[in-house]
Amino acid sequence: MLFSRRLALGIAMAGALAFPAFAEGPTEIDLFFPVPVDGKLARDMGTLIKEFNETHPGVKATAVYTGSYDDTLIKTRAAIKAGKPPSAVIMSANFLLDMQIENELTNLDALIKADGTTKEQFLGQFFPALHGNAVINRSVYGVPFHNSTPLLYINADKAKEAGLDPSKPPQTWAELTDWAKKLTKREGDKVTQWGIAIPCAYDYCGWMMETLTMSNGGRYYNEEFGGEVYYDTPSMLGALSWWNDLVTKHKVHPPGATPGPAVSTSFISGNAAMMMLSTGSLTYVRDNAKFAYKVAFIPRNVRNAVPIGGASLIVPAGLEAEKQKAAWTLIKWMTSPEKSGWWSRATGYFAPNMAAYKTPDMVDFLNKNPDAKTAVEQLDVAKPWFATYKTVPVRKNLEDEVMLVLNGKKQPKEALVAAQKAADETLKPYNAETSLKLP
Amino acid sequence: MSLAEPAALPVATSAPPRLDVLKRLTIRFKASLPAYLLLLPSLVFLALFTYGAMGRVFVDALYQRATPKAPLRFVGLDNISAVLTDPAFTGAVVNNLIYAVGTAIPSIALALLFALALARTNAVSSALRAALFLPVLIPMVAASALFMFIFLPNVGLLDYYIGRLLPVLPNWLGDSDVALYAIMVITIWKNAGYYMLFFLAGLQAVPEDVMEAAHLDGAGPYMRLRHIILPELKPTFLFVTVIAILNAVTQVDHVFVMTQGGPSNSTNLVLFYIYQQAVEHYDIGRASAATLLTLAALMGLTALSFRTMANREGGP
Repeated sequence: MLFSRRLALGIAMAGALAFPAFAEGPTEIDLFFPVPVDGKLARDMGTLIKEFNETHPGVKATAVYTGSYDDTLIKTRAAIKAGKPPSAVIMSANFLLDMQIENELTNLDALIKADGTTKEQFLGQFFPALHGNAVINRSVYGVPFHNSTPLLYINADKAKEAGLDPSKPPQTWAELTDWAKKLTKREGDKVTQWGIAIPCAYDYCGWMMETLTMSNGGRYYNEEFGGEVYYDTPSMLGALSWWNDLVTKHKVHPPGATPGPAVSTSFISGNAAMMMLSTGSLTYVRDNAKFAYKVAFIPRNVRNAVPIGGASLIVPAGLEAEKQKAAWTLIKWMTSPEKSGWWSRATGYFAPNMAAYKTPDMVDFLNKNPDAKTAVEQLDVAKPWFATYKTVPVRKNLEDEVMLVLNGKKQPKEALVAAQKAADETLKPYNAETSLKLP
Repeated sequence: MSLAEPAALPVATSAPPRLDVLKRLTIRFKASLPAYLLLLPSLVFLALFTYGAMGRVFVDALYQRATPKAPLRFVGLDNISAVLTDPAFTGAVVNNLIYAVGTAIPSIALALLFALALARTNAVSSALRAALFLPVLIPMVAASALFMFIFLPNVGLLDYYIGRLLPVLPNWLGDSDVALYAIMVITIWKNAGYYMLFFLAGLQAVPEDVMEAAHLDGAGPYMRLRHIILPELKPTFLFVTVIAILNAVTQVDHVFVMTQGGPSNSTNLVLFYIYQQAVEHYDIGRASAATLLTLAALMGLTALSFRTMANREGGP
């Protein structure tokens, strides 16, 4: 697989060398984009970029599909290292801090200033919950493009069957546990229908742990400083213990670590009656579910709170001024109210630009699909997504331990102590340079 | 290993005058100059893209940053010892050993079985050969995507059919005790047909007359297999074993697609560990050190097996 990728890259590079941009021609820029959720995002991206090129003769943008969020980070870094950075990237919102620490991002303040707007005016277009992952040290490094929050999806038909009212979804963990028990069907030892499924694969698992920890009053990480995570804490212990109880004590959640696509397939096929999944999967569920479904806020134990997810548009460091300007044009166009709303309707992500919800198309769409409103309403209680030095390894330190718990190999407390120890070790070099570097 | 040849050697090495050697070398070089010129383009590219990259790995393995903003500095063998003491690396090595043994033996056994059963060419056996070879033609990534659906808990093909016989099935890819074996099944499924080809070729080389003679002497099928076919296939076995072990180290596409080394590192193999160090931890020093260790192990193994093969070929 690696070889074919390398080959493809080689051919692409050879192509770029063989046909240099004409001096008078449009500025050619690349946009790296990931497809992190279910659905036909790649085709929609093609449509969007085609429209941009038709309306902007001065710029020729090419959309380059780069895999998952993690893959997109890898490929962007490889391209930066090779001295040929893409002009814009749709980057997982929680990788921005790590990239800024490694000096891989362009500070967008100057571009905003050149447009004659202030940072406050520019950021003011977007939902406040999204600012945390776009601003580092009071400078703007990313523009929110498509964002999500986790949601509780309920199979309304099955809920009615079990004597539950889907118009009054569970609001607390106690109610959710009760619902899950009632929605689980067994034949002897065999479970034919699970009450609830929560995904746990690398990336998704950390996000779900942050979701459960936040609804349990916790924080997961230090929002102000990239060198600390709060794994071995009562709020996270409660979150992981509850998840573990759903699996081992109540037996209403499938055991083991199940990736996101397997969870959504399970829900669509009726094998799981409820699931916690990103709003990004909403369109996929809407298109494929052959039953009535309902989406709701993530239930709370201590407070209603969820992390945001999704991605921001970034401009990598080391670009020529001309390309930077072209990329900025593309970014502003893609995050404008109309396009933001169009992308939201195509994918199920919510539109980060608040004005998108005032466009006639969007008002129309929300009237027809009231379920798309839930994610937007939940934004009032949303908080930033964890971002630290070396976000991915620090996240994996926790995920590996959570997977052991879900497989019945470790107890929650013991797992979190181990995760904290491993994460502290991963964060050590950064702390040595910042918080522990003393005069 | 033959004892006849060394007698001739002293004549060839009986120190001739130095000038003579130079002259002879020049003549030989001149004669082969066109050959070198013709080889030059590929040598340049080989140097640039193969040996250059390997040289870079050697250098990178010796450097490390202490903190994110600190400059790279020379650390000697520190990266190597850091990798060797990393539990994730030793875990990956153990997984890789289980994976290598657990995929090589079954796939070679199956390949031999298929080859023996389909050695005679007729319409049915060629159709069956094609069917068994089919998995080789499917790219590993596509095969992994297919198997992800087969392994889906509760709703996948496997659970749909076996679920009728057994009440409780594991979460094939989500259970840290089972995932590695699930991945091994794919490798066996994919490689057995490929190794079958080598055994089919090997079987063609079994001398007809010896088989006939054995038949006339009253040797049964088992006796013929045990005393004629298997000994004749020894070089094939050796070759296929080397290929199978190399595959076990270099083919990790399904790990990428299906589990990313999880859950809890239970399917983490050495090559995937290197990938994680390089791109997730962004630690080129450690990734290079782990690459060197793997390369050394593979080269040692290959050299050993080819020497054994050479001994066998040269022997009586």
